[in-house]
Amino acid sequence: MSPDLSRTLNALGLAAVCVVLIVAFADQLLFGDLPCPLCILQRAGFLGVAMGLALNVKFGPRPSHYAVMLISSLAGAAVSLRQTLLHIVPGEGAYGDAFFGLHFYAWAFIVFMVCVAGTAAMLLFDRQFADGLKPPARIGALGGIMVALGLLLAFANGASTVLECGGGLCPDNPTSYLLLQDGAAGAPLRQLFGQ
Amino acid sequence: MMSIPFFGVFLAFVATLAGSRTLALALWFVSMAAMLVLFKLHATDPLNIAL
Repeated sequence: MSPDLSRTLNALGLAAVCVVLIVAFADQLLFGDLPCPLCILQRAGFLGVAMGLALNVKFGPRPSHYAVMLISSLAGAAVSLRQTLLHIVPGEGAYGDAFFGLHFYAWAFIVFMVCVAGTAAMLLFDRQFADGLKPPARIGALGGIMVALGLLLAFANGASTVLECGGGLCPDNPTSYLLLQDGAAGAPLRQLFGQ
Repeated sequence: MMSIPFFGVFLAFVATLAGSRTLALALWFVSMAAMLVLFKLHATDPLNIAL
């Protein structure tokens, strides 16, 4: 696998992770399904994976960038596994709506495991590292757009989390955005977020 | 506080686009560390399972 092909595949992987984050955001904004604290941390895990992919896209493939993806995947998987175990006993209830039969935290664990498997598969191809530490060619259009989208999603998730939780820890079962609860100044934001 | 990992990764993306790989890696590391600390603070309920 050439370095250029590797960068293209990493850009496509970054697109896939961005789709995951966009689906979560759409569920939040369109259906009012507020993310719980563990859900928020799983999104952070996906953005960590996106960071490793973006590093490969921008600077060329390196083992350390794949390590970023693996560490982020395992951290996110630990959070999603913890949440799945909280609800795994029948009758314990669940958090949020199901999506194609599974809840988001179960999907998150599956996707994190897919990230681990995909990263391991990419590491099988040694020739992508043939350029060593040489400066890579300019970032392509696809890669540039995907890195910019990742940047936008990171900021949007940060802003959404500030609105939901303020400056502290989030409540375990959030029912509304903390910063949109009182005062008329937040009315347009309340409308935007369906509150 | 819960937004720290997101803004950390956001700044890491900015560093990536600016061509600063080392700074991007450092910001990613801080973000993941913050995420794990927040995970520890939120994982307080006992699990009703027998392993």
